[in-house]
Amino acid sequence: MKKKDVSRRQFALLAGTMAAGAGRIPLQGADALTAQEVAHRMQTSLGGEWPASGPDGFKAGDPNTPVTGIATTAMATMGVLKQAAMAGTNLVITYEPTFFGRQENPGVADDPVYKAKKQFIEKNGLVVFRLRDRWQARKENDMTTGLAEQLGWSKYRVRPGDSIYEIPATTAEDAVALIRKKLSLRGGLRAVGDRKARVRRVMLHPGTMTSAVMWQRYSETDLTITGEVREWENTHYAADIFTAGEGRGLVTIGRVVSEDPGMRMCAEWLKTLAPEVPSRWIPAGDLYWRAV
Amino acid sequence: MTGREVVELIRKNVGVPWNEQSYRDTFKLGNPDSTVRGIATTVMVTFDMLKRAHQAGLNMIVSHEDTFWNDRDETKDLTSNPLYKMKTDYVLKNDMIIWRIHDHMHAMRPDFTVVGSLRSVGVKGGEDAVMRARVYTIPETTLGEFASQVKRLTGSRAFRCVGDPRAKVSRILLGPGYATPRMTAEADVVIGGEQQEADGAFDDVEYVADAASLGMAKGLIMLGHVVSEQPGMEDLAKWMRTFIREVPIQFVPAEEPFWT
Repeated sequence: MKKKDVSRRQFALLAGTMAAGAGRIPLQGADALTAQEVAHRMQTSLGGEWPASGPDGFKAGDPNTPVTGIATTAMATMGVLKQAAMAGTNLVITYEPTFFGRQENPGVADDPVYKAKKQFIEKNGLVVFRLRDRWQARKENDMTTGLAEQLGWSKYRVRPGDSIYEIPATTAEDAVALIRKKLSLRGGLRAVGDRKARVRRVMLHPGTMTSAVMWQRYSETDLTITGEVREWENTHYAADIFTAGEGRGLVTIGRVVSEDPGMRMCAEWLKTLAPEVPSRWIPAGDLYWRAV
Repeated sequence: MTGREVVELIRKNVGVPWNEQSYRDTFKLGNPDSTVRGIATTVMVTFDMLKRAHQAGLNMIVSHEDTFWNDRDETKDLTSNPLYKMKTDYVLKNDMIIWRIHDHMHAMRPDFTVVGSLRSVGVKGGEDAVMRARVYTIPETTLGEFASQVKRLTGSRAFRCVGDPRAKVSRILLGPGYATPRMTAEADVVIGGEQQEADGAFDDVEYVADAASLGMAKGLIMLGHVVSEQPGMEDLAKWMRTFIREVPIQFVPAEEPFWT
């Protein structure tokens, strides 16, 4: 008979609970797993440079806070922060900024939205850490594999490490319908090119796709799926290719929703890195809607 | 009349100092000294609009945006690209001339791109609008109703909205193209063309989504680049007709490229 399996995380939780002597109260004092310690483990595991001027690092809250749980997301929106607080996961790992821009708080110190968001974080004892460059640089490239997994396409990858997948034959329209369903999209998806195109080879490119990538790789596949592009660059290019008679398409699903699945993989990774606390994925979701 | 002469007339009539340093407002393709048989104004030199312009007998394109899928119309990485070759061949074979008017349009008073964009979404009073965005007040409505009006008036299939559709709004701040303004305390709705969704100078999408989560009445309408700057190119055609009468001048719209 198989021995009852107690995962490392469960064991650690049990041990933690016993040591703390009460239900869900986190460890206090020297043994507590702080946000700083989680950051240290991430930095050690991922390696590379973590320049203070780069995007990665603490954005809000006290790094010395004992961690009750970790939430990962593509973007720490108010919606995500509310869910994190409700779930008792007080360390939020976000791929995109928290305060409306690369600079975090781009000159909005007395802005009511900024103030209310910051107060919410403080009142609920949340800590927000941005993990972008070093997560993206990780050799596993889980931003891409995460998106593939969410779409149910993991097994169709053509070459390990690459972003091209050969999926069962479909049309661009049907592929878009599937993407919409699998990613729970609302109004953010926009497609360009041949909606009737026969689709086998797809490229997954979460986040932003530059024109250099577009020019180099667009004609390798039937359908390119990315987060966002500049419209006067790649949208224009995809439309022109269609006019030129090539039956392929470009699907932009939204930058943030394209990055959400990769952060689900990040939560899985954190379970091994910080087994003392639960880690869960809280997707930011599709923030757009369409007029009726 | 040559392409060069057309540009010279625009220069004389533009009403602002000519910017010789602009890398945007230059000839992009074709022979500037070719004879112009007709002029097409458009927001974007798509291959599709080039074909329609040619069929209409218009061989000079005056476009607000780029031809070769990048702002500088840099072509050094495209010389062996089949699409680049096809598009270039089409233009040269048909003796077409492409000239871009971007920077000068945004310097002009009024800026036709803003005037046209405001008119296209049903906001009144923007006939003298310039690039620097200001707030326009409309009769109070909900964000959802206003978005429905935008859809009806523009005919756009693919524009995107953020915020609570039930939010009461009346103060509109619009910047077309890539000049989507940042939300301010004085505005309820920001209308833009496009903007990087996150990690930019100011991320309106996250800001407006958060404001909505906090119960504040804020909305964002992203029209798309073509939809937002296209209407002004019709105004440009009208303006050009006031000082160029030798050849026909037509507005030849670029299609909204998206399906959803």
